[in-house]
Amino acid sequence: MQDPYQVLGVAKTASAEEIRKAYRQLAKKLHPDLNPGDKRAEERFKEVSVANDLLSDPEKRRRYDAGEIDASGAEKAPPQGRYYREYAGGAGHPYENASGYADFAESDDIFAELLRRSREQARRAPGADLHYVLNVPFLEAVNGASKTITLPEGGTLEVTIPPGVEDGQILRLRGKGAPSPGEGPPGDALVQIVVQPHRFFTREGDDILLDLPITVKEAALGAEVRAPTTTGSVFLKVPKRSNTGDVLRLKGKGVKRRDAAGDELVKLRVMMPTEPEPELEAFLASWSPLPNYDPRKEMRS
Amino acid sequence: MTISEREFLERAGLDRQTLTVWIEEEWLIPGHAGAEQTFSEMDIARANLIRDLKQDMGVNDAGLSVILHLLDQMHGLRRALADLMQSTRERTPKSGA
Repeated sequence: MQDPYQVLGVAKTASAEEIRKAYRQLAKKLHPDLNPGDKRAEERFKEVSVANDLLSDPEKRRRYDAGEIDASGAEKAPPQGRYYREYAGGAGHPYENASGYADFAESDDIFAELLRRSREQARRAPGADLHYVLNVPFLEAVNGASKTITLPEGGTLEVTIPPGVEDGQILRLRGKGAPSPGEGPPGDALVQIVVQPHRFFTREGDDILLDLPITVKEAALGAEVRAPTTTGSVFLKVPKRSNTGDVLRLKGKGVKRRDAAGDELVKLRVMMPTEPEPELEAFLASWSPLPNYDPRKEMRS
Repeated sequence: MTISEREFLERAGLDRQTLTVWIEEEWLIPGHAGAEQTFSEMDIARANLIRDLKQDMGVNDAGLSVILHLLDQMHGLRRALADLMQSTRERTPKSGA
């Protein structure tokens, strides 16, 4: 880090007024917006600003002189997009001004033609795209829905959510963005979809995943149980001797596309009773399983 | 992305009265959505520039209008020049290819 006195070109003994003047002189010369084509201007201006921050504050200057802080102590990165020059090069903004070259554009040589063409393009440039984020409940994302967004600046936006829309997907609504600054068409509205999680469904591509708890009896003897799907519940046949982790497939009960549909994959979870069940306990106590029933067979060495 | 007047004042570090004056002077040209004034990131950068010119460089109001006018002309010229260079490049076939 450079010596701030050197950066501003003042003596160590300079008065506050001398420092202010020196900074003002340099700022006029180096401000990035007064040097739009000089890429290094921003860096040099920053050095000068940092030096000025340090020396124009009597307390910071005292501590710097006493060696308590170094010259980088006051350094702050300017926020992105701070300078006007980063925006002013575009077309179709309200500050656009052609009076510096309008006479050239009126003559009839090739350059005038090119200038006219680019100005015409700017005039017909479309409006800006506007970005929105829309939270969509899980089931509406799977089945599709119609939503109305209320815009911060008043007004509303109708959004049709196609069935099977994915988290993070961006819907483009043509012509629903900002109006053109000239005579071009309006921009688009870009709506980013954020799918809310569901209490028991999750999604993997076009398949819907569900953990379905079943009783010990249903698992052992088999049963028809009600299983929720994204379009209402259906009867599901749990086969005899089902186990936790077994997956049953409900064909076509996943996300429906125009030409195909995913499945719902139901993963069974056998639940022991949480309350005392004296009958079950008495039965199991007297039960002697056949020798083949050894779930840890695989682990025997 | 448009910015509301309240957010603009906060981010540009301006009070409402100053903003009214700057708009009257045509240093800033806000957009409109219904009865509300709207602003852009560009307006914030421009407000920063106006503040730097007034506070750090001691430019007075009359000088400021002149500077902004010339600056916008310069950006217009820079763009025209960039467009010309672009069209010229497109018309010039690459050599050696």
